[in-house]
Amino acid sequence: MRRRSLDILLAGTASDSHTWNLVYLQLFLEERGHRVGNLGPCVPDPLLVRECAARRPQLLVLASVNGHGYRDGLGAVRALRRAGHTLPVVIGGKLGTAGEADPAQRALLLEAGCDRVFDDGDTHALGAYLDTLAAVETRAAA
Amino acid sequence: MTAAAALAPSPPATGGPDPRPGSFGAFVARCAAAGQLVVQPRMGFADPERMRDGLRRTKAAAATAAGTLTIDSYTRVGDRAAARAALAEGAPLNGYPIAAHPAARTRALLAGVADAGFPVQVRHGSARPEAIIRALTAAGLDATEGGPVSYCLPYDRTPLAESVAHWARGCELLATLAPAPRTAHLETFGGCMLGQLAPPGLLVALSLLEGLFFVRHGIRSVSLSYAQQTHPGQDAEALRALRRLAEEFLPAGVDRHLVLYTYMGVYPRTAHGATRLLEDSARLAVRAGAERLIVKTAAEAHRIPTVQENVRALETAAAAAARTTPEQADGGDSEVYQEARRFVEAVLDLGDDLGRALRTAFARGLLDVPYCLHPDNAGRSRSFLDPGGRLRWSDTGAMPVAPYATSSRRTPLTADGLLGALLTTSSRYDSDPPAPEGADMEHTPPPLGTHLASPTLRSAMLVQQEALYAVREFLRGQGFTELLPPLVGPVTDPGGRGAKALDVDYYGQPYKLMTSAILYKQASLRGFPKLFYIAPNVRVEPPETAGTGRHLVEFHQIDVELAGASREDAQAVAAGLLTHVVEHVWSAVPEVLRELGREEMDFAELLSGGKFDSCTHAEAVARLAGHGHTQSPDAEIDWAGEKVLSLAADRPFFIDDYPKGSRGFYDREDPERPGVLRNFDLIAHGGYGELASGSEREADYAALVTRMRESGENPAKYAWYLELAREGIASSAGFGMGLQRLVRFLTGLDALWQVSAYPKLPGVIAP
Repeated sequence: MRRRSLDILLAGTASDSHTWNLVYLQLFLEERGHRVGNLGPCVPDPLLVRECAARRPQLLVLASVNGHGYRDGLGAVRALRRAGHTLPVVIGGKLGTAGEADPAQRALLLEAGCDRVFDDGDTHALGAYLDTLAAVETRAAA
Repeated sequence: MTAAAALAPSPPATGGPDPRPGSFGAFVARCAAAGQLVVQPRMGFADPERMRDGLRRTKAAAATAAGTLTIDSYTRVGDRAAARAALAEGAPLNGYPIAAHPAARTRALLAGVADAGFPVQVRHGSARPEAIIRALTAAGLDATEGGPVSYCLPYDRTPLAESVAHWARGCELLATLAPAPRTAHLETFGGCMLGQLAPPGLLVALSLLEGLFFVRHGIRSVSLSYAQQTHPGQDAEALRALRRLAEEFLPAGVDRHLVLYTYMGVYPRTAHGATRLLEDSARLAVRAGAERLIVKTAAEAHRIPTVQENVRALETAAAAAARTTPEQADGGDSEVYQEARRFVEAVLDLGDDLGRALRTAFARGLLDVPYCLHPDNAGRSRSFLDPGGRLRWSDTGAMPVAPYATSSRRTPLTADGLLGALLTTSSRYDSDPPAPEGADMEHTPPPLGTHLASPTLRSAMLVQQEALYAVREFLRGQGFTELLPPLVGPVTDPGGRGAKALDVDYYGQPYKLMTSAILYKQASLRGFPKLFYIAPNVRVEPPETAGTGRHLVEFHQIDVELAGASREDAQAVAAGLLTHVVEHVWSAVPEVLRELGREEMDFAELLSGGKFDSCTHAEAVARLAGHGHTQSPDAEIDWAGEKVLSLAADRPFFIDDYPKGSRGFYDREDPERPGVLRNFDLIAHGGYGELASGSEREADYAALVTRMRESGENPAKYAWYLELAREGIASSAGFGMGLQRLVRFLTGLDALWQVSAYPKLPGVIAP
């Protein structure tokens, strides 16, 4: 099965000023053959919506490690869907302050239109998801 | 008087106490002149009472400290409404909201705490610092930190142009609102940037340029920062380069000093790793001449540290600094200096308006912070850790420096590679010290105060006291005389197994602390044919022996020597002595021993009478091979092997005939079997290992000189001893029994430190 490289937009959540997680994710995604635009940390919702409209990425990856990820992520996904963006959106990292995944918060994110919620450090699952998405894209393009 | 006031240099005598909150730069200069590193926490609490308490306890720390008010994130990003709302709700803030509190409240917080001997600095992180500067000057403060680049690029989406404009106004505000005789002080944050993976040349240049920016905007007292990176040599080069560039580029009349930040990247997660990294940063600061250090705490990797943790970090850093001497170095044309200078010159070439020059430099990629994602950063530079641990460039984009010659540009950094580089320092410090050999001691001593108060130590000391009583009773009964040993001498026992002697300066002569008094024992035979010492010894053992449970740097030996005796005579005394001590402690303090978990049955075989068994070194090696343990036939039995033999026995036994080369020159070589020594070790049963070492002694002048040469010793150093030998030293045999090892064997405790009131483990800095 041939896999196509995806245009991916990567962003930190609105209140999260951490950088190194985004640098790591960019390298991780590029190593899998994808093209990455990295918006950096502290991306407010309006900027995220604007950038999605301008760049037309095939996937948006939101990353958060400051404990406000569930809250900030929910705002971001709702803003994107409200603006009519239908692209796949995934989020991952340390999303809550409790240090472990919260199923209720996760359900809220999925309900709001987030395609996947990845646990902290689960790059394996992210990699598998990318493979599926790239394969689907190939078929769709054929 | 507080500890800090006692330790800090007195303010200059200007006739009466100085009523102003002391000038920050002048305080640091006075401390530097007195040879004291100023240490400072990052500490901030929303509640004024808690903040005041934190400052008071910082001031009272056993350190030369400056105080810190760290500002909360809402105030940092200019959201004063959110800061006020959080205060009103009682919601936790991660710092002191200086702009949300009225100035009078902050003044009250500082009253009686901040003074000339304890200046307080405001630390924040804002790209728009004006409100914070107004608030701090209104509260009577005049020192803060930041910078147009360093408080913008790493944390914020504020355009660099805006940050430059805000910081220009901020500098002018600070200079205006803290007029003479107050002295506004600003510290650059440019020596930190993303905390890690920025090669030092760039950090030094940014720090210098921000300092110059402050000066151009009216600030007359600055400190230039640098954050500890990955390599102590490269870090020292960086601090020296920063000092030299400051001399070259800052106007002469500007007060300045260097401030080092303890590592700002991923911090070690273990307490020992965190402490050692902090201590290394304090040593770096002193060695390379930084005047101030911003510390990190052991709690750093997990959460916001408490006041107590901050104070402990300050005291740990201050203690490490006090044990370090500055290194004289010219700061020459190091690689860091040359690189930093190229950056500085490239920016200054862009015109006289430094703010504009900085913006242009970033826009053109002349300055390009690796891995920084800010939209105004070019993002074309990349760095890597070279195999020696230095940070270097792999890609330099448009910067005026070259990539490192051997950088692996063909193998781009991978995600895993980045993770590895980010975690290098924390992994290194968390894994050191290396897992101890034969680790039967999983824990190390608690702080000395706790250790001295422990019931276990009390029990062990009761047993030790009875053991010493029994030693003296037995030896005196056998006709021995107790002498008090010397502590220092021109030479000492050259010893073995990697232990070294401590050097002391004796009226300008290089003397040694006694590793053992063996040479003096032999000399003393002239007047005392049967003698003993309870001798204190200091041996700087290799750090890897810290975990054996059987090594202390400071310990005592029951040191016995008898003239005209054979090895067997000495062994009989050693066996008799051990037996008597065991009998005595079980009659004197049986309940103490039982409380410690010992049973009389443990010593039944020992007390059953009869000679202790002996085997030769060669037999011991063969026995170990039978246990599957490889042991060199030409060397000391290693610690693990000794333990195997000790565990396999049910009563103490001797190992005889160690090979020449494994022991000192004073152990007599067997005349019938060259290469074999007439010596022995006494090994305890039950896993406690070696208790005593002894031998027939070499006393013949020519043989001693030959043996010294064979073991690489310079006979000239042993002049006094050889002179006595030439006149004639009596033949003798003797042994040294480790007192702490004996008490550990009697008490059954796990580690030697548990039977020493003031334990010093190899490689561990302890009081």
